[in-house]
Amino acid sequence: MKNYTQISGEIGDLSGLPFWKKADAVDIAYVSYGLLIVTLVVVSYILGAFNLLPRDPQDIDLELMMAPPGTVGHLLGTDYMGRDMLSRLIVGIQAYFLPGFLAIAIALTFGTVLGVLAGYRGGRFETAITYFTNLVDSFPRLVLILLVIAAFKPDIYYIMIVVGLTNVPVVASLIKGKIQFLKQKNFIEADMALGLPTRTIILKHILWHNCRSLLIIQATLGMGEAILMETSLSYLGFGVQEPTPSWGNMVQVGANYFMQGKFWPSTAPALAILFTILGFHLLGDGLNNILEGKRNR
Amino acid sequence: MKLSSMRPIALVLSRELVITALLLTGVSFVVFVILYFSPGDPFSVLLEGQMPTEEARAGVREAMGAAKAWYVQYLSWLVNMLQGNFGTSIRTGLPVAGELIRTGLSTLMLTIGSMLVTLMLAVPIALYSAVRGTNRVSWTLTMFAYVVSALPVFWLGYIVIYFFTHKLGLFPMAFGFSGVERGFGWLYFLLPVFVLGVGNGTISEVIRFLREEMSRVMAEDYIRTARAKGASVWKHSFKEGLLIPVTEIIASKIPFILGGAVIVEEVFSWPGMGRMALQAAKDRDFPVIMGIAILAAVFVRMGSLFQSVVYVMVNPRASKE
Repeated sequence: MKNYTQISGEIGDLSGLPFWKKADAVDIAYVSYGLLIVTLVVVSYILGAFNLLPRDPQDIDLELMMAPPGTVGHLLGTDYMGRDMLSRLIVGIQAYFLPGFLAIAIALTFGTVLGVLAGYRGGRFETAITYFTNLVDSFPRLVLILLVIAAFKPDIYYIMIVVGLTNVPVVASLIKGKIQFLKQKNFIEADMALGLPTRTIILKHILWHNCRSLLIIQATLGMGEAILMETSLSYLGFGVQEPTPSWGNMVQVGANYFMQGKFWPSTAPALAILFTILGFHLLGDGLNNILEGKRNR
Repeated sequence: MKLSSMRPIALVLSRELVITALLLTGVSFVVFVILYFSPGDPFSVLLEGQMPTEEARAGVREAMGAAKAWYVQYLSWLVNMLQGNFGTSIRTGLPVAGELIRTGLSTLMLTIGSMLVTLMLAVPIALYSAVRGTNRVSWTLTMFAYVVSALPVFWLGYIVIYFFTHKLGLFPMAFGFSGVERGFGWLYFLLPVFVLGVGNGTISEVIRFLREEMSRVMAEDYIRTARAKGASVWKHSFKEGLLIPVTEIIASKIPFILGGAVIVEEVFSWPGMGRMALQAAKDRDFPVIMGIAILAAVFVRMGSLFQSVVYVMVNPRASKE
């Protein structure tokens, strides 16, 4: 099928003005919200890593079970064992943050290599990559992950390797499309006429100067994907286990109290998932519109 | 239909079937490789408790056809599968094939239903923003789609269950099909379909794709001509602007919806292959999960087959590409 995330236009179209002045107000809003979320996630990750939390996330307080948000001492309330919700949400980021980077690194590295091969060399590489793309697209990702879990073990890093590998075709086809577009440009021809080594042309003139923003956008969207997968799997009971918090298992445990009308213990982590994934999606799409000049008007 | 119009379809169908066969072989090989490299085969998990000595275990393995070279194993597995033999479940001892047909059908119903729900939401929004351009309403609808796409589908499931069982009191608290007979059973069937259709996380992408395709077609010369001579714009833009994009996006989103089905089936106790896959992953029940992976791939390929047939029916030239 046609690739509907294909890039059209080029960065140079922005004729003179800095890109943020050319950008649409909506896109600026998307990106600002996304950056806010990214900052929150990074800061929370660091706080969690150094254990700088408002409360001990494992501290059980049976006097104060399922307190609503705004309770004194517990800004976001407590869960079914009286553990501080805010601290658990902050610590929950540990479950996906570093593994998410692994998935992104795999997708970008292999995707770039394959994309360059297909776009620059073409021919047989292109056929092979089309086959590989179709092959990966034939698996529902979650089913593939369950298969790996059954075969190996429910380890988050194994899961993220699968997430990364299944994202390789997307990155590869974007890079391929970009390179095929760039190859018609004069500067590549000029590079070749100057006798520049292929390495310099690919690494500097193609990847660094022209594919940078594309890779950043894919990294952003990849993180959203990684969060979705991690939370889904820990909801299903794979990956991080109680009492260690992860947003997915917090929703799952909280859901036991849902039918009693106690919504907050599962809604708080669900909202965290919602706002975070939304942030990464909007950041990715906003950057795509601004940096790759893609907004159909 | 005339015979001449059937030819391109047959041409494309045969080409796509060859591709599908190649891809399914690839899929089966990937599945095999994953299991081949897994530490501790299913036999050891099963046998360790039952067989005390290494020799006894090796004997059982031999008897079950596991102690050969990898390509012999792969080929014999493949041939067995082609004959409809997917092995027996390690946990239940039942043949996998029968279970697969039963659960596969119920997942197929869920998947097709949810795709319809997604389209019923996405198509009007996409058409509206394509025709009217960006304004406050279309922006709100787009934002809504973004939020819905980021919604964790399991949580949405709980909300819907709570609303229908507690607020409206339509279903008994015990979930599953036991309560189906009472009055609103058909509605209980609709809940997971609705939840998966809304919450499969693809809705904003579907809207964006449909909107872009529709706007592209609306800017074409032949639409301008149609408009100029007073012909129906809708009639002229329908095929290229809506029919083809819809089949394209649906075919490419089937894997996502099947993945989402795993979660929704768990939340609603829907007796489909997603829940079966989940149980199999917990039990390390290899034959079952292998069968599910392959059946899921078959579903995905069928979607893409369907897409190419529609494409050629609309545009017979495409069969010559």
